[in-house]
Amino acid sequence: MSRQYFIRIFFFVMLCFFFFSCHKDDPIPEPETETGKIKFTFTHLVDGLPLEKDTMKYTNAAGNNYCVNQLMYFISDVTLHKSDGTIKLIDDWKDIDYVDIDIPATLTWDVYDPIPVGNYDSISFTFGICEAKNISMMFVNPPEVNMMWPGVLGGGYHYMMLNGRWKNLSNVDEIFNFHLGIGQLYKSDSINNTDSIYAFVQNYFNVKLPNSSFSIEKDKTRQIEIIMNIESWFVTPHIYDHNYWGGAIMQNQAAMQMEKENGFDVFTTGAIQ
Amino acid sequence: MKRSALLLIGLIILSASAHAQITKDTIKLSSVEVRDSILKKIPYIRTRIQKEQIDGEAIRDVGNYLRSIPGVSGVRKGGMAVDPVIRGFKFSQLNVILDNGVKVENGCPNRMDPVSSHIEAEDIENIEVIKGPFMLRYGPALGGVINLVSEKPHPYEKFEIHADALYGFETNWNGQKEHVSVYGGNKKIYFLLTGGYRDYGNYQSGNSDGHDTTFNSSFRKYNYGAKLGYSPKKNHSILLSYNEIHGRNVLYPALPMDEKSDDTRMISLDYNAVNLSGIIKSLDAKIYYSDVDHEMDNSHRSNWTSRQMVSVVDALNIGGRAELGMQVKKHKIFVGLDYENIYKDGARTMTMLMMGTTTTKITNLWKDARIQNIGLFAEYKTLFSSFEFDAALRLDYNNANSEDTLKLVKNDVEYFNEVSTQFLNFSISLGVTKQITDGFYISLALGRATRSPNMLERFIKLMPVGYDNFDYLGDPQLKPEKNNEVDLTFKYSHEKIGNFYLNGFYSYVQDFISAVMLPSSVVMPQTSGSLGVKQFVNVKSVGFTGMEFGYTSPEQYNLGASVVAAYTFGYTPTVTKYIIGGSGVTGDTVLKNDALSEIPPFETTVSIFYKFFKGKLVPKISTRIVADQRHTSEAFYEPYTPGFALLNFSVKYNIIKYVSVSGGINNIFDRSYYEHLNRKIIGTTDKLYEPGRVFYVTLNVKI
Repeated sequence: MSRQYFIRIFFFVMLCFFFFSCHKDDPIPEPETETGKIKFTFTHLVDGLPLEKDTMKYTNAAGNNYCVNQLMYFISDVTLHKSDGTIKLIDDWKDIDYVDIDIPATLTWDVYDPIPVGNYDSISFTFGICEAKNISMMFVNPPEVNMMWPGVLGGGYHYMMLNGRWKNLSNVDEIFNFHLGIGQLYKSDSINNTDSIYAFVQNYFNVKLPNSSFSIEKDKTRQIEIIMNIESWFVTPHIYDHNYWGGAIMQNQAAMQMEKENGFDVFTTGAIQ
Repeated sequence: MKRSALLLIGLIILSASAHAQITKDTIKLSSVEVRDSILKKIPYIRTRIQKEQIDGEAIRDVGNYLRSIPGVSGVRKGGMAVDPVIRGFKFSQLNVILDNGVKVENGCPNRMDPVSSHIEAEDIENIEVIKGPFMLRYGPALGGVINLVSEKPHPYEKFEIHADALYGFETNWNGQKEHVSVYGGNKKIYFLLTGGYRDYGNYQSGNSDGHDTTFNSSFRKYNYGAKLGYSPKKNHSILLSYNEIHGRNVLYPALPMDEKSDDTRMISLDYNAVNLSGIIKSLDAKIYYSDVDHEMDNSHRSNWTSRQMVSVVDALNIGGRAELGMQVKKHKIFVGLDYENIYKDGARTMTMLMMGTTTTKITNLWKDARIQNIGLFAEYKTLFSSFEFDAALRLDYNNANSEDTLKLVKNDVEYFNEVSTQFLNFSISLGVTKQITDGFYISLALGRATRSPNMLERFIKLMPVGYDNFDYLGDPQLKPEKNNEVDLTFKYSHEKIGNFYLNGFYSYVQDFISAVMLPSSVVMPQTSGSLGVKQFVNVKSVGFTGMEFGYTSPEQYNLGASVVAAYTFGYTPTVTKYIIGGSGVTGDTVLKNDALSEIPPFETTVSIFYKFFKGKLVPKISTRIVADQRHTSEAFYEPYTPGFALLNFSVKYNIIKYVSVSGGINNIFDRSYYEHLNRKIIGTTDKLYEPGRVFYVTLNVKI
């Protein structure tokens, strides 16, 4: 074998070796849909004015003087509705959003999803988290992890924690934890006997924002203000009286049922810009 | 200290019956040495470190020591188990093996126990590091091979028994290590018994910036083993090896959990024969079994009272290899096959104590996961005029499966569903070395190696195994990764000037295994402190390029020096960057030619030593200079790392034939620094710093 023969073989094999690197062309990309962006901001009002925390200045429909110390809640499965019946479910990146009045970053939700351009009639969402998604220990970090709902009471997470104080019938400040989550039905009269729980009740509900029509333009961001009117939790259709229901209602399905039913008109639409 | 004293007394008693004799006149049958005498002019970069170079160094961890090799870096997560990285290639991109073919599947998903942590430095006979996808005999090797060869017993002309003992102490950590080995035998039967113990406390970083920090990095390890050799007839040997290595309360401040216990058991049987006929020069066969039981938890963390995490993993690797070495005139051929069967199973139990109630969730990390790989390989080498040719081929059949029940499908996109895959992988390397003049060689090496995804990349479920604070999810349908690399090396050797080499490489990796963020609407993290979930994915291509330089002075002079330098540049042609705002991920953008993450910066080490009293006393001073790493991944939000310079001093003194002592000071100026690849302290953006100034001393007794 000559030296030239060896060198030829060497370079031939090298060529073959590089052919292994060849690959198919990329598939032809699909035509892009024109999209814009959407941003939600969350505002919390009492009687039409911005919430002032920790001040005993509010009176609800039942006549309870009260103040708000903390407010945290989840909304999920936000859906944008078009007049032709088509919808855009916001879930490309996240489908559950946490709002906390003490954490300014949570008062704005820059939605990841590209939103197809066009006119939209309305916005709806789930207040809380639906049963299929409300799974215990799915959140492991604060602040969401602090919304945990005990497993024995149904598990998952609180939909809302509205914590404050009211003046009871003796005019003494008393703490209320106006919480909403999975309710329980007990066989026994005592809620301390959790072994007697025979069923759980899902208390999340759907909210359709009134006057929430808007349009999306290509490569532009539409900002939509979602307002929670806190006083509405205590009125329409039921007048909610802290003196009657007491401070803790996590194990009181009747109270939470009233809270849930009052929730339908809590949210309104603010500025759309 | 009491244990050390007992150890030394025992050694002295043992030595009374021993026939003191140095090992120069012994018969050695190590197949590596036989091969090495054949393979002198290799066309790629291979570094071999002998035991004599390891002895006397302050080695508390093999992975940490490997960082002293040019082009080799390491990922530090705690006090030990630094995970080696070669030219930016890491984890399963490297083929890290023990004893020319024993593989160990790490139990910990966070790689608290890389393969290099399953052997102690005192048990190592030599370390071989091969850079690039060229050495294909030991398994698929994408970025390089690290072969950690342990000490073996060997036959003696007549019965002998010997013993070695070592005691070492390091300040800063208040760490001590002890090791003893007893070995001997005769022509037919020979043995080696070894055992070691090391106990290190927490270390402090340097205080050059005005303050030091103590890191929870303590660990305790012990190991023992036995090897029994038998030579049925001349040129034939059988070796049975059994080793156990145990870790206890090994703390990792950069990981969400610490190692509560790690129990590793390895058994292997080797058969070796040489000069079987005029053509058949060697026959090696090996079977092995390695089992890692790994338990980790967060019981040393402040959040243990409210959130308890306990993970228990069992990892098995059973395999073997057989290789035939042949020679016909100038043509040398090695052919063989190897097989490995990896099994992994483990779960994480998470208990949350909130609102007076306890909620427990058990998640499987791996569920009866298996990977089987069978490979056929061949290596050919020949000389022709002033050329030397090398070629290697490898064909692997890789089969993976798991009993996972996780199904993650959204909008018809299957994130985690079908778990079974089969791949047929082909690897090849070619090299040529041309002698230009006496002592001057130019080598060109080309290689394409393919490796299948590992257990972690395929099946892991929501553990923070990356350098960032994200939980990672495997993808069972990942494709194999391919590295196409070219190395050009210049070597010059002169007996009065010394030895130089200069190497440049370019590597084009296809289907590079990286990770992308997954939407929280698909999956949420399961580890406290995790920012989200990333899933392993194939990236179309990435590139690595770099250089390496080395110089060592001639051995004949008392004054000696060495200089090494290495640099790697990694890039990815296109990558998606997720824009993170106050409410989470708000959008994405595509970046062009972004840096690859976790690529070490340029560094150089210069050492000067002097041999007094015919080499009995050798003081050495060395400086290591590491540049800033500013070429960092924008897509991965990788921070830049400032450079640093260190000064170290060591001295080795052979007091008498049987006793030597070595000591030194590392990081003399107590510099406060961290390596670019060091992980962040969990739950923070602060990096884990390296230890500050360390004084160390090691006493070796050999009889």
